[in-house]
Amino acid sequence: MADTNAPDRGRDIVIDVDLSKRTSELADKNLALLKAHGVRGIDVLGSVGSGKTTLIKQLVRRLKDRYAIAVIAGDITTRIDADRIEAEGVPVLQIQTGGACHLDGEIVRRALGRLDLDAIDLLIIENVGNLICPAAFPIGTQTRLLLLSVTEGPYMAVKHPVMVRQADVAVINKVDLADAMEVDVTQLADDVRSVHPQIKVVSIAARSGEGIDGVIAALEL
Amino acid sequence: MHDVTAAQRIATTVLQAAREQGAERVERIDLALGAMTMLDPESLAFWLEQILRGTVAEGAEVEVEQLPLRVRCKDCAWEGEVEVPDDPIYHLMPFAPKCAVCGSDEIEVLGGDACVVRRIRVTGAAEDD
Repeated sequence: MADTNAPDRGRDIVIDVDLSKRTSELADKNLALLKAHGVRGIDVLGSVGSGKTTLIKQLVRRLKDRYAIAVIAGDITTRIDADRIEAEGVPVLQIQTGGACHLDGEIVRRALGRLDLDAIDLLIIENVGNLICPAAFPIGTQTRLLLLSVTEGPYMAVKHPVMVRQADVAVINKVDLADAMEVDVTQLADDVRSVHPQIKVVSIAARSGEGIDGVIAALEL
Repeated sequence: MHDVTAAQRIATTVLQAAREQGAERVERIDLALGAMTMLDPESLAFWLEQILRGTVAEGAEVEVEQLPLRVRCKDCAWEGEVEVPDDPIYHLMPFAPKCAVCGSDEIEVLGGDACVVRRIRVTGAAEDD
């Protein structure tokens, strides 16, 4: 208990922890956990109202006979999305972030602990509706699916370059409304590819189910 | 942006280290903040102060060193510092650095994207072994 450093009170403890690295370390651990249990994880990212839940419902409907699926639905406070997806007959875990605008590695790690990973082989995670913050918080899935919709206007890809670059598959939703919105779907797809040339781009109308098979093919499911 | 989240993580890191060392008081916290983190040092210090109330680190002096964004261009190999503009727009969209020489946005970040808890100064315990 003796105060050894005479004139300067106390002693220094060197920590040197990069908290931004901790974010990716957590994601790496989640990914390792998924792989160890043979689970394919897909992080679905898109703005509020872009159609994430509708897309997930359509994917579940077409894939549930071939895969044991579970869904994690991230939302700030409600469980509307979870209820909608549960109607498809697969287990849904609702995460309420309580204000946070994104899921992060820590939140997802806790959620994974509540799932029986040996009983599933496809895990779809619906991120919080936001294309900005989740870019800084990888959660550790094998695949990130970016959902844009024409009702968000023509500039979604150029306004979110960081997110576009991180995504593996970009899905353009509500193409049946493109004329009414005066949005050029081809241009939007070109914008996506100009930021991220290797990305796969699929156009869909999630409500009617148009193009969903193309999403499944792009996800290699 | 995420100043509260960052402050919470810093507080957790600091308090854990203090506990492991059996410290009675944390007098000072040294942080290093990269420009690319978009964290605001004043806001961060404010939240940290609030979160640390009632802990062994209540009232600790918080020292923030700001680190510039350093990049390497993948196209022309230029290396140097890039100014991160203080523009509210980057709270809505991420800042994408560009090469100062050829303008390419194929950029590798060398430094300035980290939020580091460097060291803490504590009093009490330790040197028992």
